Amino acid sequence: MLKLATLLLLCCGPALAADSRVTPILKAIDYNYRLKSDVRADVTMTQQKAGQGTKIIDMAYYRRDADDAFLIAIRAPENEKGNGYLRVGDNFWMYRKNTRTFQHVNRDESIAGTDARGDDFETRKLEELYAPALGTDGKEVFAEETLGKVPVYRFELKAKVSDVDYPRQIYWTRRDNNLLLKQESYSGSGTLMQTAYFLKFTEVEGRFVPVKQLFIDEFEKGNRTIVEISAIVPGKLADSIFTKPYLENLSK
Amino acid sequence: MELLIRLSLRNLLRQKRRNLLLGSAMAIGVAILVTAGSFSAGISDIMFNRIMRYVTGHVSVRFNERGGVMREIFRDGERARAALQGVPGVEKAEEGVGYFMRAIGNGKSDNIILVGANMSAELSDKERREIEESFRVVEGSWEGARDSKAENPIIISAEKARYLNVTLGDTVRVRFRDMFGQDQAARLTVAGVMRNDNIFMQPVVFLERERAKALLGYRPWETASFSLTLSDPKRGARAVADAIHARLKPGLASMEASVNGRKTALFGVKSDAASREALAARLKLSPAVLEAALRRDGALLDARTARALGVRQGEEFRASWARKFEPGLGETRLKAAAIFSGEGPGGVLVNDGKFYAAYYRDLPAAGAAPAPGWEALLAPEWTLLPRTYTTDDYKKKYQEIARSRGKGTTADVSTMYETASDILKLEGVLNLITLSAVLVLFFIILLGVVNTLRMTIRERTKEIGTVRAIGMRAEDVRNTFLLETFFLTLFSSAAGVALGFLAMSLISVPEFHPQDNPLGMLLVNGRVYFLTTFWNTAGSVLLIMGIALATAWFPARRAAAMSPAQALRHYD
Repeated sequence: MLKLATLLLLCCGPALAADSRVTPILKAIDYNYRLKSDVRADVTMTQQKAGQGTKIIDMAYYRRDADDAFLIAIRAPENEKGNGYLRVGDNFWMYRKNTRTFQHVNRDESIAGTDARGDDFETRKLEELYAPALGTDGKEVFAEETLGKVPVYRFELKAKVSDVDYPRQIYWTRRDNNLLLKQESYSGSGTLMQTAYFLKFTEVEGRFVPVKQLFIDEFEKGNRTIVEISAIVPGKLADSIFTKPYLENLSK
Repeated sequence: MELLIRLSLRNLLRQKRRNLLLGSAMAIGVAILVTAGSFSAGISDIMFNRIMRYVTGHVSVRFNERGGVMREIFRDGERARAALQGVPGVEKAEEGVGYFMRAIGNGKSDNIILVGANMSAELSDKERREIEESFRVVEGSWEGARDSKAENPIIISAEKARYLNVTLGDTVRVRFRDMFGQDQAARLTVAGVMRNDNIFMQPVVFLERERAKALLGYRPWETASFSLTLSDPKRGARAVADAIHARLKPGLASMEASVNGRKTALFGVKSDAASREALAARLKLSPAVLEAALRRDGALLDARTARALGVRQGEEFRASWARKFEPGLGETRLKAAAIFSGEGPGGVLVNDGKFYAAYYRDLPAAGAAPAPGWEALLAPEWTLLPRTYTTDDYKKKYQEIARSRGKGTTADVSTMYETASDILKLEGVLNLITLSAVLVLFFIILLGVVNTLRMTIRERTKEIGTVRAIGMRAEDVRNTFLLETFFLTLFSSAAGVALGFLAMSLISVPEFHPQDNPLGMLLVNGRVYFLTTFWNTAGSVLLIMGIALATAWFPARRAAAMSPAQALRHYD
C-alpha cells in the first residue's frame, strides 16, 4: 500500500522549458497527478516479508481529487475482509468490521498492518516537497542514461520540508514523456532504503497510470511489495460513496 | 501499677505451655501480616519507583505534536525548561527520549525501543547505583556507552542481543521513522549487554541521550518530554504538577511576517467546529465557503490588509519571517483564497494545520497581537491539556485528543500516581486481601484468647476472691487480666515481627531470573522484594493488640465484677 496514493495515477506530460532541468519534470508529474475526473479501481498488493511468507491484500479503491477524498474497502485476506479506510479532506477514518466502529487514523499510524502510514495518503505536490539536489559544482545532479534500453533522465531530489518519507530521492524518468520508471529513496544518513520500479502503464483519459509497481525494501533484504491496479473506471462518482454508511454497507 | 505488671507477668509464666501455644499462633499471624504488607508495599515501590519513575518520572511533562503519539517534541526548549525551573520540590528534570525501531543484527531482525539515557557524570552515586541495580551490565560497561569515538554505542538486553545474534562490538542496523515521519537508518555499536528481570524492559536499548536526540531529528533548541524527579513524590507530586501546569499556559501563536516587502501578521485559525462556526458568522461567510477557503494553502485576508500587501483574490504569495533560533528567513507559500470586507484581526488568516507546520518548522523571532476580540478564534502556541487525576480520566483525555485531531502541540502534566492510579488500586486490593485473610486467622486466634482467659479466670476464681478479700480493687483485678493479655500479645507480636523479618530474609535469598515471565518485573536483582516500613509494621502490631485487648475486656470485666465471698466459695 506504500506509495499507493501518491503513485496510483502517476502520469506524464510535455517538459516545460526552464532554467532548471528538473523542475519542469516535477511540475509535469504534479500536473498529471491530479485526475481529470473521479476514479474507481481494483488494487492488489502482494507483500513478501523475509521469513513471514506472502500476504495478498485485495481492495476496492475510490478516489475523488476535488476534495481530497478516497475510500478503500479491503476484500482479502479473510482476516482483513470488510475493514476499510475513508478520507475526506483532513478527516481520515479506519473502519473495523468486527467492532463496526470508525476510528480516526493519525498521520503516523500503520495502515492495514503494512508499512504504509496515514500520511502516505496525503496528496501533496511533489514540487512543494522536493527540490533539485545540487552537486559540489553547484549544478543540479542531472544525467542522461539508459535504463535497460530506454533513454532516461537521472536526477536527484532533496526534501524541502521535514515531514516527507525520504529526505533524498533519485528519479529515472523517460526522456520522451517524463514517465517515472525507477525511484531510489535514501535516509538522512545516506542509506538506500527503498527502490521502486514502475513496470507497466496504461492510459486513462490521457494520463498514464502505473498499473504495476514494485517496491523493494533495500534495508531489510527479502521484503518487497508489488502493487497491481486493474479495472480502472474513470468518471463522476456519487457523493454517497465517500461516506461512512457506504463503507459500512460495502463491508457487509 | 508496678505490682499489677509484676502480677500479670508472673501469671503469664504460670501457664507456660498454654500461653506459649497461644503466643505462637499470634506470632505467626503477625508474621504473615507484616510479610504480606511488606510484599504489597514492595510491589508498589517497584512499580512506582523502579519502573514508572524511569518511564514517566514522578511528574511527567509531555509534549505531542500534531496528535502523533511518538512525536514527543516541543520546539522551544528554553520555554519548556523555564517553566520547570525553580518549582519547589523538583530535584531533577530529565528529557525522556524513546522510540520504536526495526533492528537488524547478524542475519536476524526484530523490533527494539531506543531509549536516550543520561550517561553524564552529573548522576549522583545513588542514581548510578539504582540504574546499575535495575539494569545489570554483564558484558561491556556503561563507560563503553559513553565512548565518543564509537558509532552510536548502545547497551542492549541479553535477550535482545541473543535474538539479534549480536555480541560486544557488533553492529546493529536500525530503521525508523524520525520525529518528522522521515524514514531513517543508522548503525549502532553494541557496547554492553545488560540483564533485567522485567520482561517489558527487554526490548529496550540505551543510547546516550544527545546522540539519540540527534538520530531522531531533534534540533539543538528542541526538546522532548520531561520526566521530573521529586524530593518527596508522595506528598509533593500533585502540587508540583499543578504549579507546572499553571506555568505552561500558552499565549497566542502569531508571526510578524513580510509579504511583498510589506509587514503583516500571520495567524492560524482554530479548526474545531465551534471556532469555525463563529469565524464564519463573524466574516459573514457560509461555513462551506470558509472551509473551502481555508483548505491547504488557502489564506483569508480582509480587504484593507490585501490592499496594503498588494495581494489579489486567487493570487499566490509568499510570506517570510525572521527565525528565532536560526539566521535567515522562514517562508511559506499561500494563496489568497478569499478577501472579505469586514474587520479582520489585522493580518493573514491561515488554517491551523498549514500555520503550525510553518510556525513549528521555523519559530518566529517576533509575534504580533491581533485586533481585540479575535484571540479566542486563533490558534494558541500550544494546547495545554486539563489536569486529570485518575488513569481512566487520563485515557479519556487522550482519546478525546485523538478524536479532535489537533494540529498543534499538546502539553500535558501528570503525576505517576495519576497516570498509574491502577497500581495504587492494586496495592490497596492486595492489602485488603491480606488483611481479610489475617483477620479470619485472628478471629480464630482470639477465640483461643477468650477461651484461655475464661479458663484462667475459672482456675483462679478462689485467688480472685482472696485478693479481693484482702483489699484489691475490682478494677485492679480487671487490669491484671488485661495486662496479662497485653503482655502476651506484645511478646507474641515482637516474636511475630522477628519471624516475619526472618521469613522475608529467607524468601529473598534465592535468585530467580525468569526470561519470559512478566512476574519477573516484581523482582529486584533477581530476588523477591519486600519493602518494610515502620508504620506498616507498627500498624500491624497495634491492630493485633487492639483486637486482643478488646476481646479480653469482657471476660476481665466479668472476673472483676465477682463478689469476693462468692469467689471464695467457688469449688471446681
